[in-house]
Amino acid sequence: MGMQGDFFQLLKEQGYQFGNPVAAAVGMEVPTATTILALKYRDGVLVAGDRRATAGNMVMYDRTDKVLEIDRHSVMAIAGVPATAYEMVRVLEHSFKYYRRTQLQELSFEGKLRAVSKLLKENVPAALAGTGAVVPVFAGYDHEQESAKIYFYDILGAEFEAVEYAVSGSGSPTIRGILHYVNTWGPQPLATLPEEQATIHALRLLSSAAEFDSATGGVNRELNLYPVVKLIKASGVQTIPDADLKRLHESEVLRGR
Amino acid sequence: MYEEPYRWIEAVGNRRQYLDEQFAKGSPVVALAYADGILMLTVSRGTPKLYEIYDRIALGGMGHPADLEKLRFSLLEMAHVEGFNRSPSDVTGARLMKYGLAPSIKQAFEEIYKAPFIAKILLAELGVKPERDLFLSINYDGNFEESRGWAALGATSSVQGRMRRYVESQPAFAQASLAQAVELALCTWAVGSLAQAASDTSSGESSAVHASEEKTEGDASVLPDKAALLAHVRQTVAEKSLECVLLERRGPGSAKYRALRPEELGRLLPPAVSTPATT
Repeated sequence: MGMQGDFFQLLKEQGYQFGNPVAAAVGMEVPTATTILALKYRDGVLVAGDRRATAGNMVMYDRTDKVLEIDRHSVMAIAGVPATAYEMVRVLEHSFKYYRRTQLQELSFEGKLRAVSKLLKENVPAALAGTGAVVPVFAGYDHEQESAKIYFYDILGAEFEAVEYAVSGSGSPTIRGILHYVNTWGPQPLATLPEEQATIHALRLLSSAAEFDSATGGVNRELNLYPVVKLIKASGVQTIPDADLKRLHESEVLRGR
Repeated sequence: MYEEPYRWIEAVGNRRQYLDEQFAKGSPVVALAYADGILMLTVSRGTPKLYEIYDRIALGGMGHPADLEKLRFSLLEMAHVEGFNRSPSDVTGARLMKYGLAPSIKQAFEEIYKAPFIAKILLAELGVKPERDLFLSINYDGNFEESRGWAALGATSSVQGRMRRYVESQPAFAQASLAQAVELALCTWAVGSLAQAASDTSSGESSAVHASEEKTEGDASVLPDKAALLAHVRQTVAEKSLECVLLERRGPGSAKYRALRPEELGRLLPPAVSTPATT
């Protein structure tokens, strides 16, 4: 099996189980208390997410990282049950590395997309039981087509390419409308924005989501907590430092009062 | 016929002789720690001999490509399952060597009805701090050793001994730049390659191989000078390809392994190698 470079298969042979339902399905509802977004800008793709983790009405943690680097050229932003999402990211990270190291070539971008939907499919029983639903946004640089791309998924593993932007999580309905408005009637389409403008939009969008969705965390200036914003370009994944986010937040997001 | 102990010892002895011959035409592998990480270098004919095993572990090999592949796959499988089930920092070169490679190589070597692995392997592990960089090398019989600072694979222990003498005669390189490290590695490789070529032509009478090796080491204690070594590299590189990989301490992401692209390596080569011969 190793000859095929399939790490997930190797794990299964060793008795690993992914996505087993923990309880029987009842009237289900997918809890995705989060806001994540990905949009195409001039040099590639920007992916951003808030940092709040909740359990019901309780705020569990305000420093969660929901925009996770899987390798140097791909990022998965997660909405849904964190335990399953982090496990998925770990499986993917090892799968891509294992493939590259055994086959001596990078897994193709399409191969990476398939790996994500395969894992989601394996996870369907847990998702339907209400204990493990994950609705990710996957973004990466496709070297063959020389462009950065965005894909979003439903909990069953169906994959959709986003032409301009994608959103997920409980705060997403709020910002979906804004994205449509800005992209269609704003001064310029999102895809032509320079890096800094795209980052300002991301910060404003997440602030809007936090305004209307209690499960989305906003900026906490006292604790110096800012969203996670990553850029995907031909050169790889780049994280925007907190200092830059702080500067942009103060000058472009806050209204001078 | 191998039931009697001395027959078995004789068979193992034959096996050693057979295996030693298999490596005579192989290309030595050199790995050394420099200022920004670890560099591993060899010369290959087509099939690569340097590989990525895990985030901070690189492999260099000598021997039969099929055997190297088999061992490489078993290491990859062990490293990734362990790194996933426990954590990436639990995947260490020492564990891979002691529990992954050594037992199977030793068993294959001693099971005289079956084919042994025609392989010598060098693992380089990038530590979190430079003083924890580690090199592990294993011979075809399952004997392995650890070293710090640098390590090399050569066809025989006397070839490796010569490479050791050369490296020890050079100034300290722990703070060397990448270009300096490449030059030192190339010269060390050439010492090994020349020693192998010399013993290959002089080992006509196989019975006296060991004695003559000891002798040549005693006689030709003068190591070739840098110009001669680099000339040998230039000559070899004209028909084969130079392979060089790095484990970069400050590289982006968790995987620190990077193979140098030919044009990048070209810029790092000392002028005596990169400029064409004038004669």
